[in-house]
Amino acid sequence: MAASKASRIGEERRCFWSNRIARTRIDKVNAELVTLTYGTIVAQLCKDFEDDYPEVNRQLDKMGYNIGLRLIEDYLAKSNTMKRCSNFRETADMISRVGFKIFLNITPQVTNWTADNNSFSLVFDENPFADFVELPDDGRAQNELWYSNILCGVLRGALEMVQMQVEAHFISDVLKGNDTTEMRVTLIRYIDDELPPEDD
Amino acid sequence: MSAAIPSVACLGVIGRNNNPLHISIFPSYDPTANAFTPIRNPLQFSLLLSSTIDVFDLRSKTSTASGDFGLLHAIDDRLAAYGFETNTGVRMVCIVDMRGRRVEAGGSGVSGQGGGAAGASTASSTSASAAAARSSVGSVGAGLRDSEIKPVFRAMQSAYVRLLQNPFYDPDEHAPLGGKGGRRITSKKFGDDMKRIGEAWTPGVTTL
Repeated sequence: MAASKASRIGEERRCFWSNRIARTRIDKVNAELVTLTYGTIVAQLCKDFEDDYPEVNRQLDKMGYNIGLRLIEDYLAKSNTMKRCSNFRETADMISRVGFKIFLNITPQVTNWTADNNSFSLVFDENPFADFVELPDDGRAQNELWYSNILCGVLRGALEMVQMQVEAHFISDVLKGNDTTEMRVTLIRYIDDELPPEDD
Repeated sequence: MSAAIPSVACLGVIGRNNNPLHISIFPSYDPTANAFTPIRNPLQFSLLLSSTIDVFDLRSKTSTASGDFGLLHAIDDRLAAYGFETNTGVRMVCIVDMRGRRVEAGGSGVSGQGGGAAGASTASSTSASAAAARSSVGSVGAGLRDSEIKPVFRAMQSAYVRLLQNPFYDPDEHAPLGGKGGRRITSKKFGDDMKRIGEAWTPGVTTL
């Protein structure tokens, strides 16, 4: 028992340091720059696809996927976590407390687990992407457009690179008048059996 | 005994093409009917705002650096128009009704906020500031200092900045290059901001 306690403390300290290191060496960027850039992307997509919002959602998800594939490497480098997550619950925790903290400086709440521990919700108390945003008032955007859909793609891409196939989608958004912004993430399977050939 | 204090009768935003971007009208207290009604109809307010464009034009030759034009034009013994222009040519006009709101002599009962929709929070915040306002204004018709209008323009400008930061708001649609026309602002958030500013302002308020 003493040993386990010692290791726990050790672990805590490591977490603390890695967080500290992570926090001090993260390059910062003006939040408005991020917000306005992302807003421009979404608005331009809406223009390019002539307000076909389901298609805009798909494009955002695709962009996010391509970001996620690359971003995971940056995450692993910055977070200093060499250890694999032992279960999906731990993964969710790391996504919220480390991933979102590093890249967006927010910590969404992890809640609404299903009984089989394969599906959870991320509840965003604040969403830096959606500051100042007011969805177009054309009667459809309010129902069809998931403004921050890029985040779903990012999670999907990033987790795929660490052998987790997930499905992510938003189920509510304050921009649409809901009380919270909530993303549902579901683990489909672990894909260790499909390691790329050059990895052997 | 009751006294009348100034209130905002109309807030207008004019685009760089001299096109109307936004007009909010606020009801004033009418002592004969003991009710709140707009002192002019929407068309008349629209004409008053149009007439301020000439004053902006005239004064812009000897413009102040801050963009604050102060009193543009005293329309009659009740109404006065104040103006502000940004460097991008967007003009904001605040038409003040010098007797738009009634204050009880004790300073307790403010029957501000017509329009029915005013929240209880704004009503209570104005009742506190109204007492200060009464003492600062003194008698009716004493006029307003430019510094008393300044918070209105500062709040209007920051609301306008927030509007511009919405990626779905396209400034070019609202004041196209080429100097002709432009659509009005349809944003609900901006409209709500204007409503809040117009209802909350009273002489002596420093932040809106």
